[in-house]
Amino acid sequence: MSVSETSSASVEKPNLIRETIIYILMAAVAVTTVGPFLIMLSVSLTQNIRFITFPIELIPTPMTLENFQTLFARTDALRWLFNSVYVAVISTLGGVITSSMAGYAFARGNFWGKNVIFMLFLGILIMPDTALIVPQFVVLSRLGLVNTYTALIGPWFASIFGTFLLRQAYLSIPRDYDDAATIDGANLWQNWWHVLMPQVVPTMATLAVLRFMGNWNSFFYPMIVTSKSDMRTLTVGLGTVARSGGDAGLDMAGAVLGFLPTLIVFILMQRYIIRGISLSGVKG
Amino acid sequence: MAVANTSQRASSQFLKRLRSSLPWYPFIIINALVFVLFNLVPWFSMFRYSVLKTDLLSTREFIGLDHFVRMFTDAKLHKAMLNTAWFTLMYIPLLVVASLGVAILVNRPLRGMKAFRAIYFLPNITSVAVLALIFRRFLSPRPDGPLNFLIGLVGIPPQKWLIDVYQAMPSIVGISLWEAFGYFMVIWLAGLQAIPTELYDAAKVDGANGWRLHRYVTIPLLRPTAAFIIVIATIGALQVFGSIFILTGGGPVNATTTVVYQIYNEAFNFGRFGYASALSILFFLMILIIALIQSRYLRFGDDVY
Repeated sequence: MSVSETSSASVEKPNLIRETIIYILMAAVAVTTVGPFLIMLSVSLTQNIRFITFPIELIPTPMTLENFQTLFARTDALRWLFNSVYVAVISTLGGVITSSMAGYAFARGNFWGKNVIFMLFLGILIMPDTALIVPQFVVLSRLGLVNTYTALIGPWFASIFGTFLLRQAYLSIPRDYDDAATIDGANLWQNWWHVLMPQVVPTMATLAVLRFMGNWNSFFYPMIVTSKSDMRTLTVGLGTVARSGGDAGLDMAGAVLGFLPTLIVFILMQRYIIRGISLSGVKG
Repeated sequence: MAVANTSQRASSQFLKRLRSSLPWYPFIIINALVFVLFNLVPWFSMFRYSVLKTDLLSTREFIGLDHFVRMFTDAKLHKAMLNTAWFTLMYIPLLVVASLGVAILVNRPLRGMKAFRAIYFLPNITSVAVLALIFRRFLSPRPDGPLNFLIGLVGIPPQKWLIDVYQAMPSIVGISLWEAFGYFMVIWLAGLQAIPTELYDAAKVDGANGWRLHRYVTIPLLRPTAAFIIVIATIGALQVFGSIFILTGGGPVNATTTVVYQIYNEAFNFGRFGYASALSILFFLMILIIALIQSRYLRFGDDVY
């Protein structure tokens, strides 16, 4: 179900005073959410700023990109940015395609072990990921996979949640499509790729956005499986910046760098994010 | 002869089944491999390492159930469990009230409502690192730090926030609330909008209005949504880690050391991978039991009509 402008609210009669109060309340909440981001941006463009002190001038004079230059010079931020983009893109593509494949198999296939495998997958869904992080590290370190892209991308290359989501999507497509494709001589792969998948593209887009955001923002796991600075993702790298106690300008430049990509994806894909949440209540 | 026939038929059926099964496996093979390598093997390793004393480098000895016995007398673990409970008990009620309040506020056909919803969602798309970079500065103990300045406007003296033993955890709760309320607002909105308008009309015909309308229609019908939100948010709250790792490092004086942080500590600061594995089992059971009790008590998905 989508979050649209309908609903219970129609029971209330429009009333000017009431509406004004509502707008004031909403604006107040908006200030608390947007305010910190505006100050982040402002401070990142301010010269020589060691601390954020109030009252603050929101438009700095002079405006400068020095903090960003310092960030790129003193830390591996560019490398982290590359790592994050690389890992997030491969993880998202991989996860969505494998979910689509497996979702198709669970929706249409009739093979040995289908139910057992399905129950096993269900079992993992309830396993909180943080409980498994130490054992994952132990296994990866024994395999010599610490500080590799394989470790960073691996777990994201399949999504149990995505498999369930796409299985549901495929189940909602009438079998007639499969039958027609079979009569026309399509094999399972052609049926999946050419006939059924085009019909679940919105679901795949929703999954892709959730996975991308989830991967980009993930912190605990990528921190554990990387110890070298040049293998860190942006989120993990910025975590070290936050702990290192540089000046405020540098910190906020880092924050802007970490925030912008997710903001862009959010603005472009907002519809899919909201759809994904109301659909499932579960993040990537 | 008959025997041979049956076995022949059985084996031809077997072949038939095999032939119809085989083409499907390639579709799930990648999922299965990822699952085995990153879930199943770690699962087994968790149990296996829980009975070993090892730093993954030189030492490795079998110690049976010693780790599980040690949990009963591990004061740091007990402190971490209390901290986790303290965090969750502060966070969940505030989150439920705040996100529902905002959802009711924006659930009306007024101009600009979509923009407000999007703005409220912004903190949720932010990574924990960005969150920490910003709030470490906002919660500065300096008298002219952002938050101290703001509370100064209403006459409250400057506070120490993250570096104060009593204020550190509430500060982390505040940051987590700021990050999460927009996400749960969206779930509440989905619940609110699933309530048929006719129910309100019927209630009004029966003479209900204003608060009573919410008391007798909105709240009972939101019960499944509330149950869902409480269970999901609790599972998330019990796993809080990133903000604590970056902002307080578990301190001051272990005031913000949660169970997950303690597991991290045991493994990566003290090199006790065996004990950390045992703690992971404990932690998993903790979450499972709490989630089960909650689902049962909240009568998740019960018919409410």
